[in-house]
This record gives sequence, structure tokens and C-alpha cells, in this order.
Amino acid sequence: MLSCKDVSERSSALIDKDLPLWEAMQMRLHLAMCKGCAAFVRQMRITRSLTAVAPPVSPDDEAAMAAILARLDDGKTQAH
Amino acid sequence: MASIPTETAIVEALIRGDRQVFAALFRQHNAAMIRVAVGICPSRAVAEEVAQEAWLAVLKNIADFQGRSSLAAWIFTILINMARTRARVEGRSVSFEGERDNTLADAFDGRGRWKDLPDLWDEITPERILGAKTALEVVTAAIDALPPAQKAVLILRSQQGLEPAEICAALQISEGNMRVLLHRARLAVRAALDGALR
Repeated sequence: MLSCKDVSERSSALIDKDLPLWEAMQMRLHLAMCKGCAAFVRQMRITRSLTAVAPPVSPDDEAAMAAILARLDDGKTQAH
Repeated sequence: MASIPTETAIVEALIRGDRQVFAALFRQHNAAMIRVAVGICPSRAVAEEVAQEAWLAVLKNIADFQGRSSLAAWIFTILINMARTRARVEGRSVSFEGERDNTLADAFDGRGRWKDLPDLWDEITPERILGAKTALEVVTAAIDALPPAQKAVLILRSQQGLEPAEICAALQISEGNMRVLLHRARLAVRAALDGALR
């Protein structure tokens, strides 16, 4: 029988579908009976979803891109 | 509706020097590249320089890309190698092994049961996630505060969609360690959200 601590440690693997079938079944059995773990796994799912849609703010794409292309052109000019 | 170009088409366009394709690729990855490099390099300014160097290397060597990994994995591998080299030059050693702090260490009693039951987080539901600006700000700040390896794994897996094997190759870590790092990173973001919601 898994403890709540065991369930928390396997929660990422469960939501990523990385657990072997037998362990996943044990997890689901525990989750069906334990409100705390069910809430925790729900939190982890929400965390995963929010992480996926929280892209970093890019500083100044246009300026950075122009700098890279200018350096690339410089390199080509020097090579010729 | 415009079709999404295949990776081969993107690579061929980059070899031809197609600037529109480069711009699209740049916008897709640059911010994440800086975010990953910030954890490895001593400052954000250095991380931005490293990202720029990585893009130059990508454009100069794109003809050598053989498609053994995804293009994104190839780009991030170049970035991470450059960031680590730069960190070493500046006297910083960044190890991607051993980041195993546990933000749940005090959550359980001696028998492994919750001391306090986790909150239901009724304030955020999956349907409302996109509108939850405050929650996204909390998540963003929590990701930026992660140790370098956890941050790299979380960004590469959860935001850039790299396969586990590609992440392991880029960071030179085992798959088991990658899964631990991903879990720890999620725990830290979860803890930040939990703190903000209480």
C-alpha cells in the first residue's frame, strides 16, 4: 500500500503517464480513497498546464535578431 | 490556413538564408534559450550574449544538421554547451547532477501521511488557466528562481516539448535524474502557486 509521501513522489510520473501499469493502478486506488492526494495530483496537473502556457518574455527580439544577422553578414564579407 | 513547415523545409530555408524562417524560429526559441542560459551563466547580460553566439553557430553550421534529433534539441544542445563553456571561463562550475532539494520534506508525518491536506485550488480551474494572469506571473517568477538544471529540464520538456532522450543528451544527465529534476521543478512551481493562493 502506497503512503501519501509515495504518491506525491510518483505524481509527476503519473500525470506524464510514465508509470508502469501496476504502479499506476496502485496510485489510482490510493487516489480514489485519499482526498489529500487527489487534491495534490490535481495541483500538479494544474502546475503542469500553467507551466506550459507561461512563456518567458522576450527582451527585444527585433534588435537581437538584427545584431545576429549583421554579425553573420560581417563574417561572410570577411570570408570573401 | 497556412501550413506549418516541416523541419526539413525549415532547415533547407535556413541553409538558403531565408530570413523570415529564421525570424520565426528565433521568436519561437530565443526567450527560452536566454531563460535556460541565465541559470548557467553568471548574469543575464552574459546569457543574452551566449544566446546570440548560439544563434550564430546554428546559422553557420545548419548545413551540418543531420536530423538525428529535433532541430530544437540541436539548438538547445549548442546553447547549453556554449553556456557551460562560458561559465567555466568565468570561473563558474555548473553541475546538472545532484539538485535534489525537496520542497515537500516537511509535508508528511512519520508514517508518510499528509500533516495538512493539500488545498483544492478552487480559484484556478483548467478552464480558467489562460485567463489567470496572476497565476501565470507566479509561475513565471517561480521558473526563473529554479536552480539551473531544474529550470532547463522544465523549460525543455514542458515548454519546448523536447523528448526525454533529447534533454538527457543536451544536459548529459541520466533519464532517471531528468525525471527527478522535472518533478522537483514542478514541486517548486506548485509551492509558489500554493503560497500565492493561500
